[in-house]
Amino acid sequence: MRGLTYKYEDGTMALRDVDLSIERGEKVAIVGPNGAGKSTLLNLVAGFRMPFSGRVLIEGRELNHENADELRSEVGLVFQDPEDQIFMPTVEEDVAFGPRNLGLDDIDARVTRALRSAGIEGLAKRRPHRLSYGMKKRVAIAGILAMEPEMLLLDEPTSGLDPRARLELVKLLREMDKTMLIATHDLEAAAEIVDRAVVLNVSVVMEGTMSDIVMSKKVLQDAGLELPPVSKLFDAMGRMGYPVDSLPVSMDQAVAELTRVIDREAKRTSELRGPGNPRSDRKSRQSDARGNGD
Amino acid sequence: MIITHVRGHSALRERDEDLDTSWFSQLDPRVKIVGVFSFVVVAALLTRPEGVTIALTAAIALAAASRVSAKRLIVAYAAAFPFVALASASIFLFSGWDRGLTMLARTSSCVIPLLVLALGTETFDLFSGLRRLKVPGMITTLLMLTFRFLLLLSDELERMKVSRQARGFRGGRSLLDRYGLRVLSFTAGMVLVRASARADRVYEGLRCKAFRKDMIPWRTSSVRSRDMAFLACLAIVAGVLAAVQYEVLF
Repeated sequence: MRGLTYKYEDGTMALRDVDLSIERGEKVAIVGPNGAGKSTLLNLVAGFRMPFSGRVLIEGRELNHENADELRSEVGLVFQDPEDQIFMPTVEEDVAFGPRNLGLDDIDARVTRALRSAGIEGLAKRRPHRLSYGMKKRVAIAGILAMEPEMLLLDEPTSGLDPRARLELVKLLREMDKTMLIATHDLEAAAEIVDRAVVLNVSVVMEGTMSDIVMSKKVLQDAGLELPPVSKLFDAMGRMGYPVDSLPVSMDQAVAELTRVIDREAKRTSELRGPGNPRSDRKSRQSDARGNGD
Repeated sequence: MIITHVRGHSALRERDEDLDTSWFSQLDPRVKIVGVFSFVVVAALLTRPEGVTIALTAAIALAAASRVSAKRLIVAYAAAFPFVALASASIFLFSGWDRGLTMLARTSSCVIPLLVLALGTETFDLFSGLRRLKVPGMITTLLMLTFRFLLLLSDELERMKVSRQARGFRGGRSLLDRYGLRVLSFTAGMVLVRASARADRVYEGLRCKAFRKDMIPWRTSSVRSRDMAFLACLAIVAGVLAAVQYEVLF
């Protein structure tokens, strides 16, 4: 994307001068508050809207009105609300709908592969409207995967999901070997899935890893983003004097960070006491804890 | 402690309990469409009361044998009845009660099989069947999109209804309740606006799946022996009705 600018019909600026490149195989999150232009950006990449100025290049080809339909098969957009994307009466028919429209061969095998990738092989004969919201999201993803696009665009993939469905979807997306552009305000989920993130608030505010972004409190504050609970905890620990190197965003990162801190502190304590100290590490930690309590 | 069935994550082990597995629903949609419409054409052309009685009996027998839910059938017939009655009433007024009754029976013998067809066939199957019967793609696609839009409208209407009730609205039951009518008119407007916005998104969803103009028929069933048996039964009934009409029988 080069210098993308988009205005709504009422004159509201949705995006201003957005530059963003995504490499093949890369997973990128666009984080930002409501109204930041995340969904608009995805719609521009999918060719549903054309930019006021600037260009969208997919595999070097510029997206325009003429080739939007053709290029859309290269980028699969998964909507925030799966209800809007599911059309056919059964799951397998809905998943087969895209490949059939594209005139692809071996549709059954494609459907099976897509259902397996989305972890819903058992739902093939089910009626989508009878499924839970989380399962509908998977059906919508499978419907796009069956078309085998080069890139997946996901609009708020974790919104409206219960914790378990969210966890399962995050795992699914993390393990999926696809180029992805994910619009979300769920920083925790983004940290689990993506390699790189972009803070968007009409224009690009910051680009980096999720850890870089959560360390930039000013950016988060300006963009109206809230730190995930686990980052808040480590931030508070840092302010209390614990030597926290980086703010973890997800629970896995928190466990890794905590293990690192504990190991380092244990090493430092044993070095301070010197060799030949008769006390065991456990006793030493207990004593330290009592000391801290004092 | 309340123990109840928990949906959602158990979906992979569930099946749709309302899945229609009756023999009628399993028939090839093309066969059902051809058979039922042929029967309706023959029944509509009957003039002799004996023939109309046989046609009505056959229509009711088809409804009973099809295992379409009797409740749904009665509700659908009740919805169609004002139109059936209107046609019969005019004949009744100008040509006598016997002709009026014949008209009522004849119209019913046409409406009942059509209702059985509509209720005993998944709507999308019906459209797919029509498409495979060489009905122009533009017509079947329009029918499908219209059907989807009706579902959207009813969905949005239900949401608005719940939203109104959740905020204590109980009005709109009397034509004199001006406030209630005002709220209902706003609701109607809002339902249309919301449904239109959602319809745009659904259309974008279809375009995401490479939809252009034509819904390509997706089910490729073939006509089997039971489909032929169904057609043969209807052909025999139609033959009997023709014989009665031309006084070969009775």
